[in-house]
Amino acid sequence: MKLIFNYNQSNTKHTPSQEKDVDLPEELKRSSLPLCDVNEIQIIRHYTELSRKNYGIDTNFYPLGSCTMKYNPRVNEDIAKLPGFSNLHPHTPTSHAQGALEVIWELEEILKEITGMDAFSLQLAAGSQCELLGVMIAKKYFAEKNENRTKIIIPDSAHGTNPATAAMCKFQTVTIPTDDRGNMDIDEFKKVIGKDVAVVMITNPNTLGLYEESLSEIKDLAKENGALMYCDGANMNALLGISKPADQGFDMMHLNLHKTFSTPHGGGGPGGGALGVRSFLEDYLPVPRIKKENEQFVFDYNKEKSVGKLHSFYGNFGILVRALSYIRSWGSDIQKISLMAVLNANYLLSLLKEDFDVPYDRRCAHEFVISAKNFGEKSTLNIAKRITDYGFHAPTIYFPLIVKEAMMIEPTETESKDTLDEFAKVLKTIIKELKEDPELVKNAPHTTPGRLDEVKAARQLNLRWSPKES
Amino acid sequence: MNFIPHTKEDISKMLSVVGCSTLDELVSEFKPRLSELKLDSPLSEMELVSYMTSLSEKNSPMKYFAGGGSYDHYIPSVINHLVSRGEFLTSYTPYQPEASQGVLQVLYEFQSFVCLLTGMDVSNASLYDGASALAEAALLSSAHTKRKGVFVDDGLNPAYLKVLQTYCDGTELTITNTIDENTACVISQTPDFYGNIKNPQGLIEKTHQNNALFINCISDPTSLAILKTPGEFGADIVVGEGQAFGIPKSFGGPYLGFIAVKEFLTKKLPGRIVGMTTDDQGNEGFVLTLQAREQFIRRERATSNITTNQTLLALTATIYLALLGKSGLQNVARSSYHKAHILQEKLRKNGFDAINTNPFYNEFLVKSPKPSEKIIADLLECNIFGGIDVGDNKLLICCTEKNSLQDIDSYISAVSK
Repeated sequence: MKLIFNYNQSNTKHTPSQEKDVDLPEELKRSSLPLCDVNEIQIIRHYTELSRKNYGIDTNFYPLGSCTMKYNPRVNEDIAKLPGFSNLHPHTPTSHAQGALEVIWELEEILKEITGMDAFSLQLAAGSQCELLGVMIAKKYFAEKNENRTKIIIPDSAHGTNPATAAMCKFQTVTIPTDDRGNMDIDEFKKVIGKDVAVVMITNPNTLGLYEESLSEIKDLAKENGALMYCDGANMNALLGISKPADQGFDMMHLNLHKTFSTPHGGGGPGGGALGVRSFLEDYLPVPRIKKENEQFVFDYNKEKSVGKLHSFYGNFGILVRALSYIRSWGSDIQKISLMAVLNANYLLSLLKEDFDVPYDRRCAHEFVISAKNFGEKSTLNIAKRITDYGFHAPTIYFPLIVKEAMMIEPTETESKDTLDEFAKVLKTIIKELKEDPELVKNAPHTTPGRLDEVKAARQLNLRWSPKES
Repeated sequence: MNFIPHTKEDISKMLSVVGCSTLDELVSEFKPRLSELKLDSPLSEMELVSYMTSLSEKNSPMKYFAGGGSYDHYIPSVINHLVSRGEFLTSYTPYQPEASQGVLQVLYEFQSFVCLLTGMDVSNASLYDGASALAEAALLSSAHTKRKGVFVDDGLNPAYLKVLQTYCDGTELTITNTIDENTACVISQTPDFYGNIKNPQGLIEKTHQNNALFINCISDPTSLAILKTPGEFGADIVVGEGQAFGIPKSFGGPYLGFIAVKEFLTKKLPGRIVGMTTDDQGNEGFVLTLQAREQFIRRERATSNITTNQTLLALTATIYLALLGKSGLQNVARSSYHKAHILQEKLRKNGFDAINTNPFYNEFLVKSPKPSEKIIADLLECNIFGGIDVGDNKLLICCTEKNSLQDIDSYISAVSK
């Protein structure tokens, strides 16, 4: 294992040398800098080699459920790197940054149209930060109304970020079980909805890839009790041009711009988040807000009710540029994204139905959950590892937590019929292998590094390189 | 544009397998169904590039003498070539380590670089940005000490303070004026927002006497090439903004939050952490570790709600640090320092008052003899963004290695009109 710290070469010199030392008191000065010098060619080889040890959408089908791993159009990368965007300093006076403000403005307008929400903040760095903002807004909104609401209702199929966020803001999470059709159990919901509930947080379609069939009734009950309806929009890729969350009765919703609007996931980020609200909550959005004054875009910091600010500047602007480019390239055809995402998911589900247990046998949205429980304990893990040998990335596994041996598969709209056929064939082959040569599957993968010991990693922590080890 | 590969024949075959006659029938249960969206016609790639380029050109190009949380350091060419590789760019969180060894090793190297530079024991794999990293550090401190008070030293970036205040309001922490038995953490930025390099020793002692945690916040971490590390001074947590390490200014994001702690706080860290382990053949490899802290397992008992982080920017910073190496990073720090001191000296000779009370690194505060709006406007006329107006005719000015002596002369002649 060669780390970047294991080389000792001469420096390539990317900036002019400066030998003159700084004139600082000794007690403020660093005594030694334990970095090494590596020449450029070696750095290129080191990181090119590492890149080849990695699966991405560009190299492999990557059906990671809940993550919307669709093709990332390269032109959007070029656009984000245009010097007028990428070189722009965030403190530039707005008079000299009108193009950037227009990007933010235009994206807000488009997202309002797509979701039906009345106002958006694009300041958030990711979906979970949107949730945090949403819960903060609810907290402030009820505090101002002098209503003491302590609970947030969340279905047990929800992303872990939902309860984690509620807890951060000191709300009590009330978990609602899932009924046998994969919906939030409406009878259980009726037992707990009341005047002490601040927010009902729902992912729609939910993480099982199913449309919430009782949504309209849930919304009515929530409204009757004065609670706010929050939509985790992680699964918006199923709804573009088909249904607006505001029309479904949501008061707030977030979008994971990097998922639905295809900015590259970059090995785990950066992402971008957008929080949309109905007009009665607009004043609570973070500052600065963007507004148009005499045909000029300006930032407005003067918002008394605002919860404050959540980003060092105005949000992940480079991600906003990519999202806007993506949406403009689709334009009024945007519905095709969701229709094809739903078709791909249902088609793949149809191909796999006879081989796997389907916990909720319904038509799915843009993703679906199947179970490998019939093949024994840990089968899902073993199958996932074996999939890697066939040149595909594994689906999301063991989530949602409520399905045993779960495999959550989201093909996205950009995968061809041939790829889906091939993937289904591979899964069928692996099942056959499980019966005929189980050790082959249990010891997978065989083509990449062997199975890595996660227990050892957690027990004997080795989280960094240190000079003394060299 | 159209990024969907299916032919009409594919679609009809697939629909028949699914048992639907039309695509619309597939989504019939999604209610209420909307008729159409009012969006513009689709654009071809050529039209899109033309439109977005015209927007980008409404932003004026200029020379920067401004920092305040975003720094105009030189970005070596190799970074973009490596970061654009599809295997990095189009992957996601390395949940399947066998298919993600590349990203995992990069993050392990990133964590190591953060520790080496800050003098701390353990780093995570990144957070959103400097401001939210600071807020996460306050939450961590509260969880560790079971206290709710947050003390903030003078000179914290006002935007960071605002974000911190917002997080505190939402999570029921309180920003206080005293350090006492209710204090969870003491936050100090150095060099501070106004450029002052502080010796935190006294404040750290006071913090520890009260059994609170000391958080050191860093805005331009190239300063760490020449400054004594927060770890050596005795900080418990170091957070900051990694944008200076090869990341474009990009109107404020996406940037790179980092957090590093002393060993005793390891299990309280938010976000992703990569660890080295071995595979079933005994070969070294990497995995995401300590995942039991995280929201997707622990839900409402997680250490934070973070899922997505800034991996690609951690990769950028890692390659930047590898490329610059020890001598390159020292060059950048020394050049930035000297350029700033040259400019400050020249401004003083031209009637500006120096305000900094401490030694400074690459940012400094001056009071202008003329209204600051006029100074900034005169500089903008010459395509120079000359600094951040912090009120009372005071300007916060920043230099990096990129500001040439000629640029500095242009600056001086523009403000001497």
